[in-house]
Amino acid sequence: MTAVPARRPWQEWVTLAARLVLGGVLLVAGLLKVTQLDASVQSVRLYQLLPWEVTAAVGAALPIVEIIVGLLLITGTFTRLSAVAGSLLMLAFIIGIASVWARGISIDCGCFGGGGEVEASQTQYPAEIARDLGLLLAGAWTVWRPRSPFAVDGWLFAAPAPSDDPVPTNEDDKEPTR
Amino acid sequence: MTQNNRERLRQAQAAAAKQQRLTRAVGVGAAVLAVLIIGVVIAVLFQNQGKSATAGSVTPPHATSDGRAIEVYPGKAKAGAPVVELFFDYQCPVCKQFEGLYGGLMNTLASSGEIDLRYRTMTFLDQNLSNDASVRAGIAATCADVAGSYGAFHNEIFANQPAQEGAGYEDTLLRDTIPATVGISGDALTSFQACYDKQSTKAFVNTSNELGTQDLLAISKSVGTPTIHANGKAVSLSDVGAVQPTDPDAAAKLLQVFQKAAGA
Repeated sequence: MTAVPARRPWQEWVTLAARLVLGGVLLVAGLLKVTQLDASVQSVRLYQLLPWEVTAAVGAALPIVEIIVGLLLITGTFTRLSAVAGSLLMLAFIIGIASVWARGISIDCGCFGGGGEVEASQTQYPAEIARDLGLLLAGAWTVWRPRSPFAVDGWLFAAPAPSDDPVPTNEDDKEPTR
Repeated sequence: MTQNNRERLRQAQAAAAKQQRLTRAVGVGAAVLAVLIIGVVIAVLFQNQGKSATAGSVTPPHATSDGRAIEVYPGKAKAGAPVVELFFDYQCPVCKQFEGLYGGLMNTLASSGEIDLRYRTMTFLDQNLSNDASVRAGIAATCADVAGSYGAFHNEIFANQPAQEGAGYEDTLLRDTIPATVGISGDALTSFQACYDKQSTKAFVNTSNELGTQDLLAISKSVGTPTIHANGKAVSLSDVGAVQPTDPDAAAKLLQVFQKAAGA
């Protein structure tokens, strides 16, 4: 096991920022939708990507999944796995928006609740895709470097506490780091 | 302490620590998974609530058997008359405009049996406007169908649409004012108000929106109101708009638009 270094590498702070941003956006998006599940289902339907019967389940489940993945990322719990889930969500959103854009369907993305038909001039597909690409990048970074400060993972996967160790902790006793 | 003992102790400790970490991870993982599954199940069940008819729910008497629409002039349509479906949302300003321009002509054609006019209640603007006025107006109109005043009630709702989109409909307007205007009184008024208060036709209205969304996506490729289908085929609104409502032959010309779209 590696000892906690006195100074954390800068990458860990980038991961902290990345997981807080991605997790925060997912949490907010989920919370705004969870009180309006019908609207969420309607939004999923307007994308016209999934079979009708599936849209109700996806629309209702999506806000819950967003909230939970968001909370996991914010708290740094199962960071890598959560980041994989968050990135997959972003990938799905990008595909969805790109597909309605390509098919010429005029809708608001419904990303933060609401959503519906809008005038073609009011669609913001490039901005929405750019935003989700940025979030996907944050997710991908976190998958690559899941270690970060202030993470539940630090406790979850902690090395045994030295105080529990009756064995004299000479330098020689430690396993070679990495 | 011999080197051997120490080594054994350390291995045992490492194993115990590993076990502890595993227990923690599995415990937290199981808890997260449980919350996820319970949350999703509750959300799906909650979302399905009110979509199916429950005890005490009322189906409007002039609803079509498939639950999609309400016949505005039941039994009037001549044989071969096109089925004209009007999709509307009571909070949609363009629907109000449409009613003002062509509502009278549509009613003329329907009352003389030239078209089989059916109203299809949509409520998606509730979600866009974050209120429940479309559903409440839909419930009120369908409750009025029980009293036999559906068409008139429908017209009055649009006539009283608030100038500002999203202001919604007051309960007193839907529950007291409009029934008085269209002449629902006495026992009929009592049962109308009970129907509105208990939201007895809510399941019908929700299903109507659901099936309406389905048909709009399938036929018109987008969910917007007002939309007209004739015999299940999209009617171009610009064709309708080409008919001058003040033209003496407007009704006949409008009928031609519907017939052309229906492929009759």
